[in-house]
Amino acid sequence: MDTTRATDLAGPESAGPAPDYEVGLVSLNQWQIAWRRFRRHKLAMFGAFLFLGIVAAAIALPFIWPFDFYTIPTPKPNCRIGCPPNPDNIFGTTGGLQRDVFTLVVNGARVSLAIGLGAALFGAIIGSIVGGVAGYFGGWVDNLLMRIVDALLSLPLLFVILVIARFLGSGNWLLIMVVFAAFGWPGVARLVRSLFLTLRNEVFVEAARAVGVSSTRIIFRHILPNAVSPIIVASTLAVAGVIVGEAFVSFLGFGVDVTTPTWATPSRTR
Amino acid sequence: MIKYIIRRALQAIPVLLGISLVTYFILLIAPGGPTGRFAQNPNITAAQIEAFKRRWGLDQPIPIQYCRWLGVCGDKPFLINALPGGTFELAGLKIDLPGGDNGILHGDFGYSITDGRPVVDVIAERLPPTLILSGTAWVIWIIIAFLAGMYAAVRCYSLFDSALTIFNYVGFSLPTFWLGIVLIQLFSAPPLKWFPVGGMWTTRTVPPFGTERYWDFFWAQPFTALYDLGTHLVLPVVTLVVVNIAFDSRFVRASMLDALGQDFVKTARAKGVPERRVVFKHALRNAMLPVVTNIGLEIPFLFTGAVVTETIFSWPGMGREFINAVGHFDYPVLMGILLITSVFVVFANLLADVVYVIVDPRVKFD
Repeated sequence: MDTTRATDLAGPESAGPAPDYEVGLVSLNQWQIAWRRFRRHKLAMFGAFLFLGIVAAAIALPFIWPFDFYTIPTPKPNCRIGCPPNPDNIFGTTGGLQRDVFTLVVNGARVSLAIGLGAALFGAIIGSIVGGVAGYFGGWVDNLLMRIVDALLSLPLLFVILVIARFLGSGNWLLIMVVFAAFGWPGVARLVRSLFLTLRNEVFVEAARAVGVSSTRIIFRHILPNAVSPIIVASTLAVAGVIVGEAFVSFLGFGVDVTTPTWATPSRTR
Repeated sequence: MIKYIIRRALQAIPVLLGISLVTYFILLIAPGGPTGRFAQNPNITAAQIEAFKRRWGLDQPIPIQYCRWLGVCGDKPFLINALPGGTFELAGLKIDLPGGDNGILHGDFGYSITDGRPVVDVIAERLPPTLILSGTAWVIWIIIAFLAGMYAAVRCYSLFDSALTIFNYVGFSLPTFWLGIVLIQLFSAPPLKWFPVGGMWTTRTVPPFGTERYWDFFWAQPFTALYDLGTHLVLPVVTLVVVNIAFDSRFVRASMLDALGQDFVKTARAKGVPERRVVFKHALRNAMLPVVTNIGLEIPFLFTGAVVTETIFSWPGMGREFINAVGHFDYPVLMGILLITSVFVVFANLLADVVYVIVDPRVKFD
């Protein structure tokens, strides 16, 4: 694999919207090309390291600053409405019980990130499959799947969470994640479908069909990679959206159990 | 195409029925209920709660309640209620129809459990403020998102692009309830006091919005009225725009980048098409599909309101009415608002599908 490739010689100018053209002897598949371009992109690498850093901190730091819901810190006299950041509490403290906000943030990261990433990931996967199938086949398949999407888009999230809390027990963060994924995929599905509607008439799809490639393979290997950029935009934004959404739902008292630290905790413990 | 639209419009009927059925059951199964708030009140006896339930028909099984809400069940024999009823005048002839006259099938949304007003009146009162707030914000953020997203894609990886990316992610990560409160703290609290804290009109200077007195005032002093409305609009609109701009501008940027990298753009540039035309004609049209989808998903929000923003700025719109109705388990109002939401979801998505064909002739529906 040490053959010199055209992309290696092309230098950093090849980063950007223009695709890299392979002239070398060894051909790379599209994921390898994507990975190369990603590695060259400084901002993307910075983002990746930042993200991995946050994940590592979420896993490791709670061992150093553990959070126990039932332990109440010794109150300081002048901090009844919460302290500003100071050497003891670098993010300050909450009002009322004066919990250390830094500890809450560090400990809440695990569940909040898990809910955000999980819901966005499942939403993107289900949405891509449903949207791809609907957009590729069209006709009644499209009609049926999109009417289900319409229905899901009009259900009230808050009440669904209430009902689930009643029947399956409240406070389980996995359940909240599933609910957010279930409410997140319809948007992705419509997005993917819109792209499939144009792409399915492209020449390369026709060529693949003529050669006898199976529908599944056309959908997932031929068309989907062309539709990936809006999916990435939607899912990265969905991570933040779900984290804030969980905070909102938990703030109202329908979300994750109070004793489980999430990024909603600073807003709901006294 | 016309055939397709008609077919979709007809399909909307069973879809809306299905949605309303599921929503109704979810609402009624949810713990609490309209009598939940009486549970802790020692002055209310069990008999009174029973009477309240009987008064609103809440003592019936859920399927019967849904059936009544639809207008299929009622005092007349089954199914006759579903037909149109009442006295109509047609060309001087008085026609007496035997059917029922209440329920959704007859355009009757019922009465609010909280204050007994017709749901239609409640919605008619709340809809204009929501349209003013969400509509203003929507127009502003769509325009900014398009211009900023396209500029960022054309000048990809420039300083502007990075700045927009940072602004987008910061804006998107801010919870609305936090941003709204911070804006109030900064611009409405004593040192600056530039904008009102909340509401839609200045009490005592301007009559309540939507009343006859308001319109008298509006036509008498249009500038004062508009200025007053404008100052109340600024903070909620800024909140909505900052939070929502990220989604659309990211989509515009990403799909524009995709389109600008395509061969037909290179061809257009190679044959000497002016850059402006390349961007606005060749690339933009091809970048429209995901953006149109997204706008289609946003349209229902214009009518149902920004729940959190309206609550923070005490804006008398649909979102706040919805939260009030949630608090009181006001089923008729909730169902009314949710039904309107689903109508707009269904038709906004149909509209998006029609627009696909207009912006991209490659899309075909059979």
